[in-house]
Amino acid sequence: MQPFALIRTKRLERARAIVRDKPEARALRAGGIDLLDRMKEGLDEPELLVELRDAMAPQVELGAGQPLLPAENPERFPSAPRFAQIGALTPLAQLAAAELPGAEALTEAASQAATPGIRNTATVGGNLLQRPRCWYFRQRELVCLKKGGDTCLALMGDNRYHAILGAGPSFIVHPSSLATPLLALDAVVSVFAGTPSDPPEGGATTEPNSLRLLSELFVSPADDPTREHALEPGDVLTSVWVPVLDGMRSAYQAVREKQSHDWPLAEAAVRMRIAADGSMRDLRIALGHVAPIPWNASAAAALLEGKAPNADLFAQAADAALADAAPLDGNAYKVPMTKGLLREVLHRASGLALPE
Amino acid sequence: MAKTKLSLGYGPKLETVPVELPPGEPRPWDANDQLEVVGEPVPRIDGQLKVSGAARYTHDVALEDMLHAAVLRSPYPCATIKRVEVKAALDQPGVEAAIAVAAVGDKLIFAGQDVAAVAAARPEQARAALASIVVEYAPAPFVVGTRAAMRDGAPLVHETAVEERRTGADEPGAEKATGELSGNIRPGRSQKRGDAKRALNKAALTFEATYETQCHTHSSLETHGVMVRWDSEDAATVWASTQSIFSVRDEFAAIFGLPPAKVRVITHFLGGGFGSKFGANASGTAIAKIAGELARATNKPVKLMLTRHEEHLCTGNRPDSIQTVKLGATATPGAQAKITAIHVQAHGSAGVGTGAGVGRNASAVYTKVPDVLVESADVFTHAGPAVAFRAPGHPQGAFAMESALDELARQLELDPIDLRLAHDGHPVRRWQLELGRERFNWDARRQAAADMRARGTRVRRGVGCAVSIWGDFSGTEARVSVEIDRKGGVVVKNGVQDIGGGIGTIMAQVAAEVLARPVDQIRVEIGDSELGPGVGSGGSKTTASITPAVRNAAEAAKAELAQIAAEALEASSPSKLRWTNEGVSLGRRSLTWAELCERIEGEAIVAVGTRARTYGHYPKSFPGFPTPEIAGAQFAEVEIDTWTGEVRCTELLAVHDCGRVMNEMTVRSQINGGIALGVGYALMEERVMDPSLGVVLNPNLDQYKPCGAKDLPEISIVLTEVLSGNNNTGAYGIGEPATIPTAAAIANAVGDALGVHVRSLPITPAKILDALERGRQTSTEGDT
Repeated sequence: MQPFALIRTKRLERARAIVRDKPEARALRAGGIDLLDRMKEGLDEPELLVELRDAMAPQVELGAGQPLLPAENPERFPSAPRFAQIGALTPLAQLAAAELPGAEALTEAASQAATPGIRNTATVGGNLLQRPRCWYFRQRELVCLKKGGDTCLALMGDNRYHAILGAGPSFIVHPSSLATPLLALDAVVSVFAGTPSDPPEGGATTEPNSLRLLSELFVSPADDPTREHALEPGDVLTSVWVPVLDGMRSAYQAVREKQSHDWPLAEAAVRMRIAADGSMRDLRIALGHVAPIPWNASAAAALLEGKAPNADLFAQAADAALADAAPLDGNAYKVPMTKGLLREVLHRASGLALPE
Repeated sequence: MAKTKLSLGYGPKLETVPVELPPGEPRPWDANDQLEVVGEPVPRIDGQLKVSGAARYTHDVALEDMLHAAVLRSPYPCATIKRVEVKAALDQPGVEAAIAVAAVGDKLIFAGQDVAAVAAARPEQARAALASIVVEYAPAPFVVGTRAAMRDGAPLVHETAVEERRTGADEPGAEKATGELSGNIRPGRSQKRGDAKRALNKAALTFEATYETQCHTHSSLETHGVMVRWDSEDAATVWASTQSIFSVRDEFAAIFGLPPAKVRVITHFLGGGFGSKFGANASGTAIAKIAGELARATNKPVKLMLTRHEEHLCTGNRPDSIQTVKLGATATPGAQAKITAIHVQAHGSAGVGTGAGVGRNASAVYTKVPDVLVESADVFTHAGPAVAFRAPGHPQGAFAMESALDELARQLELDPIDLRLAHDGHPVRRWQLELGRERFNWDARRQAAADMRARGTRVRRGVGCAVSIWGDFSGTEARVSVEIDRKGGVVVKNGVQDIGGGIGTIMAQVAAEVLARPVDQIRVEIGDSELGPGVGSGGSKTTASITPAVRNAAEAAKAELAQIAAEALEASSPSKLRWTNEGVSLGRRSLTWAELCERIEGEAIVAVGTRARTYGHYPKSFPGFPTPEIAGAQFAEVEIDTWTGEVRCTELLAVHDCGRVMNEMTVRSQINGGIALGVGYALMEERVMDPSLGVVLNPNLDQYKPCGAKDLPEISIVLTEVLSGNNNTGAYGIGEPATIPTAAAIANAVGDALGVHVRSLPITPAKILDALERGRQTSTEGDT
């Protein structure tokens, strides 16, 4: 690990400006979990870290506010009677302990990620913006597609933990365990982007100037294999907004090789409402750790929309969700696994009892 | 030799057994002795230091002026050095010395091998300076997969004969590999009884399956490392993270051409070894040589602690294995079926090193099988060398043999415990199997598992069992001293290190027992070669080697005290004295401990004790040794989600024999640790190498997956104490036996839950799904 300096500022715009001035050598630090890992592994060697924790506060609030919709095309954002607002600096442990009726998929995912120690420090923003765990990417000496090389080393190598969906050209799986439920919950994010303004000391707080659908936060490797998210240096994710529909229910589950401190092999999250006639409505299904981006299984959701919960139907939806799967030579197991997982999560989210 | 009769045995079976004792040996504690302190669950005397962080491990040792070393390692799995130039490193900040470890022309044969090293004021400076060392490599073809290395035409790892390297952690008495190298394969150890091949040909029924186990890393929480300080031209002090202080001393002395007495080795606390920390150097990196040379070059103490990454590349591992097991059986139906032959053909890779044997489960547990052949071969690959790992060979051998037995039992529709009982000649293990059957509610759970399979439930449970064999390999080398000073202080000293089992606490208990003193009044000093010859912690022999010497030293010190007391109390003989926690008495006359100790002439009584050779082995000896065979059996329950393949070990019952229990709490703790290691081996741990890059892909504790707290089953432990008459305390080992059967028992439980066996470790969700798919195909074929 190279020596580095750390500066603290209470002014977010100042923090952003510092990083924008010299992005190749500076970085923002929130919980610092993945950042410090990368620095210890020699993947990143910033000279200067700018502490975000003095400029932003942890926060989980239900129904206190609504995201500020842009003037242009506001209808592309979800509407809901209430939103849960989650500050980007909120530690996972605080999110895990929050009461968010209907959004249990999110609190369940937050309570299962990493270890108690990491959850006390790791933040919601950092979880969404962390870099992949791919064992080729993480080895300093190896030059893979993500690091500017010609090819994804997982293609010819050991790809047991890699993607089965998304068709490359990088076969990482997105590492965020919160992204999966947040995508199912149709979350939106607030971002401070662009040139920082220079508010006077103690002056009015600037509002985040960019609202995005969660899916817009992530970059497919087909567009740019060297990055996973669309934020530019100095951009700061400030809040995640979860629309809370009346009668909403959700569930999340992951499969792991071990239960203490392990990355999922596959994740599934489902959101729905059960209408008065017993049918499932407003269904959204997301899969995690199966593609380079959090995966929206919209075809599976469409298949179930408006129908009553039914075990055979869930199995069909699971088949539909994985219909495009194209496993590599070492990860075909993820196809039946993810199907089985999604069936279980559909049962749990809809309340239809699981078979023994 | 003095003949005596001891009351020996176990649980349901105690017998009076004649034993010949060497001269001067006290009467061994037997079934008639009611001990006050020994056996009690006394908390570790250094427990507070450990949990508070006050315990100083080698990692924590800091000396004034010390430098930190870092090692440049080969990035290539196979390459010849064309140029190595360290001079530029000397200009880097903080650097005081730089040395080449490999020379031009040297052939490096695994990624991670030593190339050069530097010493700098701070560890990050040393690490950064490595980048300025100029090395030119000529890369050569390599092979890292075991099967790939066995193929004709595979790149050769060794071109000439390979000397087998052994440490004190290897299984004592294991056959030496002598076969000729052919390609990358060298036939090694074999165990033979009768003619297995002939018996297989004649068998009415045969079973054959191939089992595979993965490469498993020790993953000690404290990585390998040393600090070397030259005290003069020809004398050094070495702080080492080691499980064998005296072999570090001897190896360091040999490297630098010193008399061993000129080298002092200190290990006050050790953060795990598991067999990998026996020498001054590690199996694949010359840490002591490097630190010693850099210390000599700079005239300052040099500390070299490896990173987690390095720890996974070059400090040892458990070899993988590919084992084909053939069983022959009679065609008699049901419980009358008899196994007539066992033939195991094992290949395994210890990387560039040797020692991929598979233990003795197949050859020595099932002694009622007349014809047995176990053949094993080393397969060389361009990977870091293996080294002894907690029960070398045994967990992999137990997995294959115990799995094959269960598969045969399934085929014959026999209960797996019954099949084991019919072929195992050890009375204690047979008793353990019966105990476990009852305590684990085996029959009801087996029935429940069969019902779940029949109903095709989503969630399945299953149970399995497996057994272990180990021997009492304790030695006579320790010299323990007990000092009793005029103020009543008692100190027990020995140069042994505590690998984590809690030997210091047990030494205090044994001394307290003999001297009738409270345990907290005994001071123990260990972890320093100046405290007198100890024993390496390998082969599960620390407690059994050290405690008899403690007892002898304490008995000798007590004899001196007794002379003083007898004189003071006017006893006709010291044997008339009554000893209590208060002191000593004769009738109504008494002396407190303090009053008695004041009468010591000079400063203190100092008595040195040794351990006699093992003299008893009731009820059964380990094959080839006149010492006890140690039996164990474990029972596992697993729960499997057949939709996702997720598998957990939910419950584990461990029934173990460890001779006379010295401390029930530390014994249970060692068994818990053995089970945690076994659960990781069974379900999640695996070193993964990229076949085309030749590097380890998961050299960390993130993607290399040791068992964590949430992965532990609910553990129950039954201690089936055996009094074997082996030594004067009756102790023998548990460290290794505790981990031998775990993975096999879990694999058998998985087989019970699924009705199909997973023949490869670790049993991941991917392999569960694959086995279920195979099961479906088989049943579909059966239907047509």
